[in-house]
Amino acid sequence: MTSSRRTFLAASSLATAGALAPGFVFAGPRRPAPNTTAPSQANALLGQSPILADEGAAKTALAAALAAGASYADVRLVKWTRERVAVRDDHIRDTDISESYGLGLRVIADGGWGFAATSSLHEKAAKEIARRAVAAAQQSARLSPKPVSLAPTAPIRGQWVSPHEIDPFSIPIRDKAELLINASRRALAIPGVEHVDAMSLAVREEKLLLTSEGSRIHQVFFRVMPGLTATAVDRRRGRFAARDHEVAPMLAGWEHVLGADFVGSAPQIGMDAVRKLHAAPVEPGPRTVILAPSNLWLTIHESVGHPTELDRALGYEANFAGTSFLHPDMTGEKRIGSDLVEIVADRTQPGGLATTAWDDEAVPAQRWPILKDGILVGWQTTRDQAAWIGETHSRGCSYADGYDSVAFQRMPNISLQPGREGYTTEDLINATDDGILISGRGSWSIDHQRYNFQFGGQFFWEIKHGRLTRPLRDVAYQANTVEFWSSCDMLGGVDTYRLGGSFQDGKGEPPQSNAVSHGCPPARFTVNVLNTGEDR
Amino acid sequence: MPLSKAEARKIIKEALAAATFADVRVAIQAGRERNLRFANNQATTAGDVERLSISVTAIAGGRAATVTGNRRDKAGLTALVAQAEAQSALAPVDPEVMPPVPAQRYLEVDAFDAKTAALDAKGLVDVVARAVRVANRRKLVGAGIVEVGERVDVVANKAGLFAHVASTAASLTTTMRSKDGAGSGWAGAVSHRVADLDADALADVAADKCEMSQGTRELKPGRYVVLLEPQAVADLLGFLRFSMSARAADEGRSYFSKPGGGNRIGEQLFSPSITLRSDPGDAHDPSSPVGEDGLPLAPMTWVEHGVLQALPRGRFWAKTTGAPAIPRPRSLLMSGGQQTIEALITGIERGVLVTRLWYNRLLDPRTILTTGLTRDGTFAIEKGALAGPVKNMRYNESPVTLLKNAVAFGVPQRAVTRGGDVLVVPPIVADGFQFASVSDAV
Repeated sequence: MTSSRRTFLAASSLATAGALAPGFVFAGPRRPAPNTTAPSQANALLGQSPILADEGAAKTALAAALAAGASYADVRLVKWTRERVAVRDDHIRDTDISESYGLGLRVIADGGWGFAATSSLHEKAAKEIARRAVAAAQQSARLSPKPVSLAPTAPIRGQWVSPHEIDPFSIPIRDKAELLINASRRALAIPGVEHVDAMSLAVREEKLLLTSEGSRIHQVFFRVMPGLTATAVDRRRGRFAARDHEVAPMLAGWEHVLGADFVGSAPQIGMDAVRKLHAAPVEPGPRTVILAPSNLWLTIHESVGHPTELDRALGYEANFAGTSFLHPDMTGEKRIGSDLVEIVADRTQPGGLATTAWDDEAVPAQRWPILKDGILVGWQTTRDQAAWIGETHSRGCSYADGYDSVAFQRMPNISLQPGREGYTTEDLINATDDGILISGRGSWSIDHQRYNFQFGGQFFWEIKHGRLTRPLRDVAYQANTVEFWSSCDMLGGVDTYRLGGSFQDGKGEPPQSNAVSHGCPPARFTVNVLNTGEDR
Repeated sequence: MPLSKAEARKIIKEALAAATFADVRVAIQAGRERNLRFANNQATTAGDVERLSISVTAIAGGRAATVTGNRRDKAGLTALVAQAEAQSALAPVDPEVMPPVPAQRYLEVDAFDAKTAALDAKGLVDVVARAVRVANRRKLVGAGIVEVGERVDVVANKAGLFAHVASTAASLTTTMRSKDGAGSGWAGAVSHRVADLDADALADVAADKCEMSQGTRELKPGRYVVLLEPQAVADLLGFLRFSMSARAADEGRSYFSKPGGGNRIGEQLFSPSITLRSDPGDAHDPSSPVGEDGLPLAPMTWVEHGVLQALPRGRFWAKTTGAPAIPRPRSLLMSGGQQTIEALITGIERGVLVTRLWYNRLLDPRTILTTGLTRDGTFAIEKGALAGPVKNMRYNESPVTLLKNAVAFGVPQRAVTRGGDVLVVPPIVADGFQFASVSDAV
């Protein structure tokens, strides 16, 4: 437990002394594992990898693409292993291990993009995808008056394994199931809790990237995501309430799940579910809210992350994800937030789900500003996009979610920097006369240009005169992006900074998923609070 | 076809022969998908992807595990089965494990169109070229995607079950925006036959909506009569569909739970005009006749004249409650009327026409209250006629309320969905639809 969490819990129990037990745990808010993967361990993982046996097929695809007329080609051998263990109440529900493995080839020919992929890894299939990718590119070129051009990047030969202490796939399913069942039983033991669902998801992503420019990059990533939901039911009144654990998914090994004290914190989640069932309905209207990192990360993702994707802003995602309220013309001028708001993109951040050493176009991972003093200063780019805003190099945001999908611009970790005053969460609460503390991820929705959003949460505490008073239910907050960030008037300090994140950042057609994290301290805003309950 | 019946039988035979457990179940998905995206009136990225996934579930003594891989040679299959059996032995006992489903008979469904399966890169470019030509002619900025795919789904087990379903899918969606970003319109269509996609007509609808949507005024949030086009109805109805579970209802954690216990089957929940069915063999919009665990999907009536008739119920819950197992459907067909959207408009004194809904999220499972925003064509209706574009709005509304308050229906039409499910719904006029706030998004 970090020192800030200790003081935080102490303060919240003080604030709620009396009828209410300490009400909210920012469950699982631990720091990501330091960069501790021993070089020998990483070398063994990479050197003994079975995908090296298929490097010949990858080289064949690359050579065949160039021979067929491609001016550029990159090929990825990508193997995903996903393991899901799910429990329902006191018993196992699913154990599912899936592997997806194949070869994806992206080419530029006649100035158009082509992509083809196969799960067959023999030489013939490799030549066949080269033929199909180049044919598709040449056909597309008929409808591409502006040919694709790539910003330069130095050829790289490199390898990297994401930091982890315990390979999650080295832990037997039985042990994972026992941990989840124990946690589930402890939550179920709370009177009023009728159902508990718990699960753990561990994924391993391995890719070997070869480019026609001479790059060869071999990387392995481990990501883990545990989850638990307790549901309290009041059958007499026909009502129920569910409470999710707030532990964040992380680029880490199984040590992240062990460190989150999943079993120890389960009773608290159960108690919270019951408390939510009997909480007072929120009064709607304009309110001050303090958003905990477990809630605010997603608001950052939706309201700052997506609108600063350059392809979106320039209309390339208009048919599905949408466009943006921001445009490159506004760079350096457009005010989005108060002076306190510093937002940074960072693919080097420890624990960040989008952290990497190189992206899917062989561009090194970087850290760069997106909002400085509340003003738009930076964009997310790939090699074909850098020139669109007059930049000479890509920001390294290219990613494809499997061998069978084409790489395009995806979100890096984008994080709100902590305040310089070093405030604790209790400092924010004590400074608030009338407000609501919101933690955890609830429902979320934002328009296709990212102006109007409405978010829920997992748990809501009323704040009166600087103290937490009672839990509330059915709370959602709605705001306009610029008004929201402009109202930000207080930030927690560096000790309150936490990562949140998702495996499921959706974009593109056909849709792809990107894993991404967002760090932030708790922060205070003015929003429009809604009551989304049946007695609204 | 990506995997013929004979090829599928060979894979199944080899996998099951490798099994040492008495209960081993195999599912195969094989497919090829091609797509071409476009934006700013030019082609952007293309894709041509072959996929294969083979899942093996091994069960012994109530312990179950599923492993999935994509090697189809004998050695690969043997290794996959061995891994499933090894993992199963490590799993705790699952008291909900059900015995394997024996051989079944399925509806004959013709959802595979050879012309769709054969469309190549040039064919995709030709479709996109037609949409882009419309955009250029009308001085608009077009974006979208055309996709075609063929797939085979196989389910089999050691108890003799074998199902092989081949299907194709084709879709085109396009968004037209004005050059100044002040207008946006969308249109889309999906079918198992690529010949059903009329790129020129869809592009023209999107372009019309874009042109008509410029110069918006702001409506005050509140309750309005709405005319939801089929896509908007489908966007909202998805939440009702996913709430339909006999188990969640019986367990007290669903809209379909009855206060005091049990579920609401037999209750009048919606307007008497509402009937919801599913039918894999629908002549125009066929869908898979094979449901979860390989159970056959028969034509079903879920809601008749507004009365809830049935909820999907898994096999374990069926056994627990003594009620029949009803697999989750892959299609939902809603009753409608004869009227065109234009005719429906003439019947509305004051209201809002909605093209589609976006970023829809469940707010409250107790009421299926949902939030999201209108997008790409939102218009005021006054005195039976369109009365100009309005700013997009956020709604906070439940599909339950929509189906309770529905007063008029047009001709049902297939809406665009992902994942192969078929949703055929009419445009609906409903009272009292709640818009909660205004958005500046165009």
